[in-house]
Amino acid sequence: MEHNGFIQEQKTLEGDLNSDTSHKNSVDFLMNWFRKRSIFVLAYGTGCGAIEMPPTFTSRYDAERLGIRGAATPRQADVIIVSGYCSYKTLRRIIRTYEQMSNPKYVLALGSCTVNGGMYWDSYNTIKKLEDYMPVDMYVNGCMPRPESILEGFIALQKEIGEGKASSWQKYEENYEFYRKNQEAVLGKKVEPSYDADWYLYDGGL
Amino acid sequence: MFKEIKKRFATDDVEVKRPDLYKVGIKYTRLFELVHMLRDEYEYKTLNAITCTDWIEEGHFALTYMLTTLDRKHTFMIQTMINREDAHAKTFSHEFKQAQIMERDLHEMYGIDFIGNENLKELSLENWIHTPPLRREFDTLEFVNNHLTFREGRDDNVDTKAETKRLRALKKAAKEAAKKAKEEAKAQKPKDEKIKEGGG
Amino acid sequence: MIVVDLLLMLVVAYAVGFLYYGLYRNITARFQRRFGPPVWQSFIDSIKFFFKEESTSHGWMFYLGPVIMMSGAIMTLFFIPFFTVGDTFQGLSQYGNAFVILYLLVLGPLGNALGVGTGGSPFGAMGITRGLTRLFAMELPFYIAVIAIMSLSGSADIATIASEQTTFNAFAYPLLFIAAMISFIGMMGQSPFDVPGAPVEVYSGPASEFSGKFLALLMSQSAIFTFAKLVLMVHLFLGGASGFLELLLKTFILFIVVIAFGAIYGRFKTPQAVDFLLKVPTTIAVVGLILATWS
Repeated sequence: MEHNGFIQEQKTLEGDLNSDTSHKNSVDFLMNWFRKRSIFVLAYGTGCGAIEMPPTFTSRYDAERLGIRGAATPRQADVIIVSGYCSYKTLRRIIRTYEQMSNPKYVLALGSCTVNGGMYWDSYNTIKKLEDYMPVDMYVNGCMPRPESILEGFIALQKEIGEGKASSWQKYEENYEFYRKNQEAVLGKKVEPSYDADWYLYDGGL
Repeated sequence: MFKEIKKRFATDDVEVKRPDLYKVGIKYTRLFELVHMLRDEYEYKTLNAITCTDWIEEGHFALTYMLTTLDRKHTFMIQTMINREDAHAKTFSHEFKQAQIMERDLHEMYGIDFIGNENLKELSLENWIHTPPLRREFDTLEFVNNHLTFREGRDDNVDTKAETKRLRALKKAAKEAAKKAKEEAKAQKPKDEKIKEGGG
Repeated sequence: MIVVDLLLMLVVAYAVGFLYYGLYRNITARFQRRFGPPVWQSFIDSIKFFFKEESTSHGWMFYLGPVIMMSGAIMTLFFIPFFTVGDTFQGLSQYGNAFVILYLLVLGPLGNALGVGTGGSPFGAMGITRGLTRLFAMELPFYIAVIAIMSLSGSADIATIASEQTTFNAFAYPLLFIAAMISFIGMMGQSPFDVPGAPVEVYSGPASEFSGKFLALLMSQSAIFTFAKLVLMVHLFLGGASGFLELLLKTFILFIVVIAFGAIYGRFKTPQAVDFLLKVPTTIAVVGLILATWS
C-alpha cells in the first residue's frame, strides 16, 4: 500500500510512453519497441550536469524501471548524454566517443549551455550551439535540469524512438561534411584528440 | 629580515600585507638571489603559486611568486616586472618541481616563454593559434562573435561595458528607491509607536 | 529424437536463464530499495543488441571469442541431465561424466581470452588477466569438493551422484558444500569475486570492446551458462530433481542465495580475491574431505 503513489507515477510515465500508434509495419514496430524499452546510457559526464546523473540512475529516481541503465564503454551504449558546457577540449573527446558508438545511437543534451551557451555565452573556449557540431535528438533545458526533468527528457526520447523519428545518427552520416566543417572551424584541422594507449607516459603526462 | 632585504637588494617596495603575508617588489635580475636566500636561510620551502598580471598601459607583466613556510605558517610574496613584448623568464622548475606546471599554464594563457622548462605544451587549449586569451589585447567578445554562432533569440552578446553601465544604473536606482522607502518607514515609525502606546 | 531433446534443453535454459537474470536485477533493485526493471528487461536488452549494427573490426579471432564462449556454455548444458529419472532432457549425459563437465567449464573463459586478446583494448586485456587469475584460485576448492563428492558416491556420473543421495550431500557433507558454494559465487560472477568485469575499474573488462550482436551473444551465453551451472550444483549437492517444478524450485533457492551474497558484499581487489579463495574455501574443502573420508 505504501508504494501506491510510486506505482501511480510509474503508470503515468509509461502510459505516456505507450500512447503512440504510428508505425510502418509490425517488424519496424517491434524493433522500435525493443529499442525504446532498453536504453544503455554511456557513463560519461561533461560539465556540471554530470552531478545530476547519479541520482537519476540510483535508488531515488531509479531510471532502470524504464529500461534505462548505464553502460561502461561507448561500444555498448545507445545514448550519450552531453551534460553541460563543452569546451573545445571536451568537444574533441565527445565527438570521438560519439563516433565510436554503434548505430543506432542517440544524443541527449542537458542544460542551457548546450542550447545557447548558457552562462558561458562570452567564453572564448566554449561552444554555443551543440547541434552545429553533432546531431542532437533531445534537449533538456535548465541550469542544471533536475533528475525529474532528465527522466522526462528520456521519456520524450523513448517516445520518438518508438515512433521511429529519432534518427540523428542517419543525419550525421548524411550531413557529415557540414558537421566536419563546423568542427574544423573551432578545433582546427585535426579534430581527433591525440593520444594512444600510453598517452600518460610521454610529454610530461596529461 | 626586512632590513636585510632592503639593504641587500636595494629596494624600498616592502610591505606587511597581513601578519602572515609580507610583500616585496624587486628587479627581475635579483629574483633568483632573493628566492634562494628565502629558501635556504629562512626556510620558505614551498612555492605556492606563480601568478601574472597584465599591466598593458605600463607595458609589462607583473610576475608574483608566493613562497610559504609551513612551519611558521607564513607567506612571502615576491613581485617582479618583465617586459611585455617578447616576454620571457627563467624557469624555476629545477628548484621547485611544482613550478613546471604553473609555468606551463602561464605560457598557455599569457604567452610567456619560460627558458629551461622542458614541457610548455598547452594544457587545456589544444591547437590554439590565436592570441593567448588572458593578455589584455585579446578581445573576448569580438573573438566570440567572430568565431562562434549563437542561436537566434539570444540578444545579450552585446557590448559588455554598456551592459554593465545599464545594470549598475538599475542597481543604483533600486538602491535609492530602497533608501527612500526606508526613510519613509522611519518617518512613519514614531507614529506607529505612538499608536502602539495609545493602544497599550 | 535426441536433436529435439537437445533443442528443448536449449530453449528451456535460455528462457529460464533470462527469467533468472531479470529476477536478479529486480531482486537486487529491491535490496537497494528501488522499484527495479521488469522481469523481462534482460531479454529485451539482448534482443535490442541483435538489432544493432556493427561498426568495429578487429579480425576474425576477435569475433570467434563470443562464439567459443557460447559453444562452451551449450556443451556444458548438454552434458548435464536436467532430471535424475526418465528419458527426456537427458542430453548427452550418457556420453560424458563429471570430468567432461569440469573441462568444459573453463572452455568459455579460455576462448574469450583468445578473442579479447586480439582486440587491442587495454581494458579487455586487463579484464581477461583478472579473470584467468581468479579462475585458477576459484577452481581449486571447487575441484576438491567435486572430486570428494565423486569418490564418496563412487561414481562420476552426474545422474548417479544425484539419485544416490539419501540425505542431500549439502547436509551430509556441509564443509564440502560451503567450500563449493564460495567458489560457485565467484563462478556466477557475483560480488565479492566479480573482479574481471568490474565496471568502474576495467570498464566491463572482457566485454568492453564487444558491441551489437556479439554482446547479445555474450548475454545469451551467460544466461544459458548460469542455468547449466545451477543445475550442476543442484545435482551434486541438493539431490537432483525429478520434475520441472522441483528443478526450478531448487535452482531458484540456490540462485537467491548467490545473488543475496552479490547484493550485500563489496568487491575484492584481485589479489584479495585470490588470497581469500586460496586460503579460506580451500582449507574448508580439505578439512571437509578429510572428515568425510574418516567416518
